[in-house]
Amino acid sequence: MISVKNIYKNFKDVSVLRGVSCNINNGERVVIIGPSGSGKSTLLRCMNLLEEPTYGEVWLDGKLVTPPDPYLHSDVIKTSKTYDRLANENPNASPEEIVKKIKDEDLLGKREGKAYKAALKKIDDENGIDINLARQKMGMVFQHFNLFNNLTVMENLMLAPVQLKLKTKEEAEAKATELLHRIGLYDKKDEYPSRLSGGQKQRIAIIRALAMDPDAILFDEPTSALDPEMVGEVLDLIRQLANEGMTMVIVTHEMGFAKEVGTRIIFVDEGHIKEEAPPAEFFANPKDERLKEFLSKVL
Amino acid sequence: MNAWQLFYRQFFELEGYRNVLIGLKNTAVIAVIGLMIGMVIGCLLATTKIVPKKNKLIGFLSGATSVYVSIFRGTPMVVQLLLIHFVLLPALGIHIPLLMEAVLAFGLNSGAYVSEIMRGGILSVDGGQTEAGRALGLTYGKTMIKVVLPQAIKNVVPTLGNEFIALLKETSVVSFITIVDLTKSFQNIANSTYEYIVPYVVLALIYLVLVLIVTSIIKLIERRLRASDKR
Repeated sequence: MISVKNIYKNFKDVSVLRGVSCNINNGERVVIIGPSGSGKSTLLRCMNLLEEPTYGEVWLDGKLVTPPDPYLHSDVIKTSKTYDRLANENPNASPEEIVKKIKDEDLLGKREGKAYKAALKKIDDENGIDINLARQKMGMVFQHFNLFNNLTVMENLMLAPVQLKLKTKEEAEAKATELLHRIGLYDKKDEYPSRLSGGQKQRIAIIRALAMDPDAILFDEPTSALDPEMVGEVLDLIRQLANEGMTMVIVTHEMGFAKEVGTRIIFVDEGHIKEEAPPAEFFANPKDERLKEFLSKVL
Repeated sequence: MNAWQLFYRQFFELEGYRNVLIGLKNTAVIAVIGLMIGMVIGCLLATTKIVPKKNKLIGFLSGATSVYVSIFRGTPMVVQLLLIHFVLLPALGIHIPLLMEAVLAFGLNSGAYVSEIMRGGILSVDGGQTEAGRALGLTYGKTMIKVVLPQAIKNVVPTLGNEFIALLKETSVVSFITIVDLTKSFQNIANSTYEYIVPYVVLALIYLVLVLIVTSIIKLIERRLRASDKR
């Protein structure tokens, strides 16, 4: 469903992600763990383009969300001026060798000619999807909740579905009412976020994502900013969604929760995926040295 | 006749008050419309600074905004007024009423300040608000209008109020291009009686009262806006 292909992310001089690829299948609950600064949140944020990957592509349901990355398309590289130049300079090299050299040494520049531009545009035209459309299908829950401070709880839940014309006002309100009842916060519908506790805010942030009827939800450390006694109520809600079969990607530090809810655990360190396995195997038989060290510290 | 009687005669019997009313009206018109123009210009300029830099046009507009702001903040209001009245408008062959010239000058000047105020206000809104809007699939524009700007405006009301008060008082320089404002009207009274204490003290009091009125209106607006977030 979500497919991440060879993503690199650089912030100025710091490279946070260095070639990450992974697939999230329908109904999977993938938990991403790793030391702080390892790039796990960045990976999650690249999935819905809150961070634009420096290189690489993100696909959602077979649609290209990022601009096409020429390095992932050998036939595009072959239309570039750089390729022509190298082919002239090394008449004995095979096309594959030249393409490999260009990929390895990051040789493509900004001006690579019309054919190259057209080839990229063709890929985009055939596969591209508007990012705002993609985001409607991928809910996101933030560490710091990010409820809209100027809107009441009810307005928070209704804003996007109504503005995007996915629902009429009545439909959106009905859905929001149902969701609020579900988490037992219907009596807070007219409150502003500043009057809610952290746990309440986060649960409302989760149903705000649900109000869009998303195909998947991305959780970015959903319990890290909560007081300890509120972590439980938020995890309970996420657990419920998991049991209902919602596709999820969760970045978290809650190892017990990861083991319980995840169908697959990904360990990210130094911008790479170092290990990837179902929870039982992941925690019982870690193979990567860094992961062993990490688990010995957090478990 | 003592100072007070002289003032009384000039103000009421010789109908100096008519002049003062005209001056008061001019002062109010320049300050209020000037601020309105300033808000429009300021919001537009601030937008060029806030929009994530994507293309050359935005980059150019953002640069132009910087130049604009530097010029209007870097030179005295009087100088700008004189340049517009004696250089710019004649050079362009534009003839508009004097009062409009002043309104234009104050609007342009105020725009520079308001743009910085608005920029600060928008930046003061937590970036997570924009991210949350975008992550739901709302466009940048929609997120701005529905989420960020309402919070930004609430944050800038006190500062905008300050700007308006500064503007109100600074209108006294329009007499440089022969507009009769509040200050000029009292200056006229003082000059015709050679008696300065009473007219200038009264003038100062009028400005003071005006500013106090404006201050309480701002407070009212602030309270209104605060009421909506029940903090």
